[in-house]
Amino acid sequence: MLVTEFHHLVRLAGEMLPPNVALLWRKPGLFETIGTTLAMTFLGTVTGCLLAFVLALVAARNTTLHPALRSATRLLFGLERATPNFVVLLVLFISFGYGPFAAMIALAIGSIGMFGKLFADAIEEVEAGPCEAVELVGAGRWQVIRYAVMPQVLPVVVGRSFYAFDVNLRAAIALGVYGGGGVGFELQLAMKVLRYADAFALILLIILLITGMERVSDAVRRRLLPQGVLK
Amino acid sequence: MSAALSIPTATARADRARRAWRIVLAATLMGALVVGSAILCRVDVVGFLPGLFQGLSVLRFFFPPDVGSLAEMVGPALVTLLLAAVATPFGVALSILFGLAGAANLSPAWLRAPARGVIAVERALPEIVVLLLLVAALGVGPFPGVVTLAIGSVGMLGRLFADAIEEIDARVIESVACVGASRWQVVRYAVLPEVMPSFLANAIFRFEINLRASVLLGAVGAGGIGLELQKAMALLEYERAMMAVLVTLALVFGAERISDFLRRRVLEKGGLR
Amino acid sequence: MLHVDRLTKSLPDGRVLLNGISFTVSRGEFVGILGASGAGKSLTLRCILGLTKADAGSARLVEPDGRSFELTSCTGRNQREARRRMGVIFQGFNLVKRLRVLDNVMIGRLAQIHPLRSWLYGFTDAEAEEAVQALRQVKMETYADRVTGSLSGGEMQRVAIARAIFQRPSLFLADEPIAALDPSNSLAIMKLLQPLSRTTPVLGVFHQPEMTARFCTRVIAIKRGAVVYDGAPGLSHAELEEIYGDELMQVLRPTPPAAPPAGSEPGPAVGLLLPNHPS
Repeated sequence: MLVTEFHHLVRLAGEMLPPNVALLWRKPGLFETIGTTLAMTFLGTVTGCLLAFVLALVAARNTTLHPALRSATRLLFGLERATPNFVVLLVLFISFGYGPFAAMIALAIGSIGMFGKLFADAIEEVEAGPCEAVELVGAGRWQVIRYAVMPQVLPVVVGRSFYAFDVNLRAAIALGVYGGGGVGFELQLAMKVLRYADAFALILLIILLITGMERVSDAVRRRLLPQGVLK
Repeated sequence: MSAALSIPTATARADRARRAWRIVLAATLMGALVVGSAILCRVDVVGFLPGLFQGLSVLRFFFPPDVGSLAEMVGPALVTLLLAAVATPFGVALSILFGLAGAANLSPAWLRAPARGVIAVERALPEIVVLLLLVAALGVGPFPGVVTLAIGSVGMLGRLFADAIEEIDARVIESVACVGASRWQVVRYAVLPEVMPSFLANAIFRFEINLRASVLLGAVGAGGIGLELQKAMALLEYERAMMAVLVTLALVFGAERISDFLRRRVLEKGGLR
Repeated sequence: MLHVDRLTKSLPDGRVLLNGISFTVSRGEFVGILGASGAGKSLTLRCILGLTKADAGSARLVEPDGRSFELTSCTGRNQREARRRMGVIFQGFNLVKRLRVLDNVMIGRLAQIHPLRSWLYGFTDAEAEEAVQALRQVKMETYADRVTGSLSGGEMQRVAIARAIFQRPSLFLADEPIAALDPSNSLAIMKLLQPLSRTTPVLGVFHQPEMTARFCTRVIAIKRGAVVYDGAPGLSHAELEEIYGDELMQVLRPTPPAAPPAGSEPGPAVGLLLPNHPS
């Protein structure tokens, strides 16, 4: 089929070339849409990973408040992981209307499911000895978490959160296509009105954005993760 | 008391000051980023709670799920499953080719650079973009979906495969090459046995990812359960949509379990023999 | 003062682990608990710390000011109050490896500062100075700024002792504190514990009779969950044989000489005599 329909691909390629790079400086508000995509990725990742960490404390055997709460949270993580994030997005559109706000919340919810489980697993792998020692000086539950658990898991949590940012950026573009706003929405618009040269320029921009942000997040992470900074 | 501070105490104090600074700096930076993002995202703090309640009140329209539509859901669910099931082997085959071409210890530089380049670009392209392009060229239907997922697999598996090959102990390859084996024989007898278990495990994991993605892509035109869900939502048939969600959950949950099981088997027993 | 009175503990299947353990530790004492593995030494400590619930009996901590804590039955806030009065030293050191040495020492004071302040690691200069004093006491003050994970076993145990000192407890509990250390480090740790007992009683579980004979003021021996000896630290060979049975040859390893005479070789023959030497 790919062979028989190949001429369609060639036709499309012909229409897309050359990319309308002029879009970058001609189109008003283009940088705002890029900003919107980055903003919803950032906010979604931050709120998602924060909530994921808090819930992970409940979902980890050694820090949970109650075993029943632990299984309930684990189940919640499982359900969230199984739900495609665009399903969440469709429901959120009813609550908050189309736009980046709903997309941001969808990203946050998606991060909770995926990274909550990872964080909880990391917390369960914490060395038990130091926790016991801190408990035995008479410290309370929160102090044990602060002094024995957090120093041990924070590098993992922060490292994974940067990874979450990379994953969420791709997802943010996809959610944009479904109506979440940002670059993804712009691209979908250009495709819909058959302005393929514009679309190609936007695609190049997306590739640049994703590889560029990967570099940035790598650099920040490497500065943050050495011993002693996070505790 | 500051005069009588011992050296370690002074370091502790300096450290505390440094930490305080760092916290203030990080907090300001984070605060600025959050506020800026919130403005760009049009975060509606006032509308959040009412919106939440509205969402929750709408949620009751989703229940009870329309069990009667289950029969109509089976077909689209199978399409979604099929999409992932067809795309994954294609993707795996392509990944092996690109992986071999991208490994520094196997392929010549002229082949390696473009292979790695394609993989890198692929990784940076969200699936949805590829699908939009293919739909524009080939029209809606499952076929662009399959191609998209196959291409998407290359970005992930191809890179993992190439990296794994590069990590093979050079002596293993040399020892096979020394007995006069051709390049393809080296691949067959030295490279593949070394990297196959982990590659298979990754491929199974990729099937799981492809399944999730195929639900997502369905909504944009690849068909299947994703399309069914989106149609139901657009027509405000929430009970029917709920049924589609339940079918999706069952599909994804099931795939996760099976893929977990298979991966563990592959990694423990070193292959599906 | 610590009063342990008829502590009893058995497994659900009826096996008796502790069969009425009673003893008292008072001011100025350095008490060593000896016994074969599985005799119930560490379990006794765990019951005193409230980590394991005893079936019957009691352990009571009486403060110099007359306050007393029922260790086996107190819970919640009361238990934390009691725990903060007992400084514990572990076989595995149990330090948080990613924190600095000084932070690890500060942990000793956690129960004594406001939770909000502790959340931000907000220790005062005075507390830091005191923590450094505690480190000086174990000769580790130059390591204050090091990451704890980079220290050797002997160094970590010193830091753990500093943490216990900084806690200002009214009783030190040590659970096989030298079992994971080589002979010369063991000796150094014992030399640190001994002077502590002059102001605060020390109760420790040990595996080496020759160490307790040399440093402790009193020895308690436990066999199959019961106290079989409570008295002077120097035990005769016959008594040790009674306590340890078949394990005796494993625990009788040579004490490193306090000041080894120049040129003396630690005889390799000893190693040959003890094939099961746990190193």
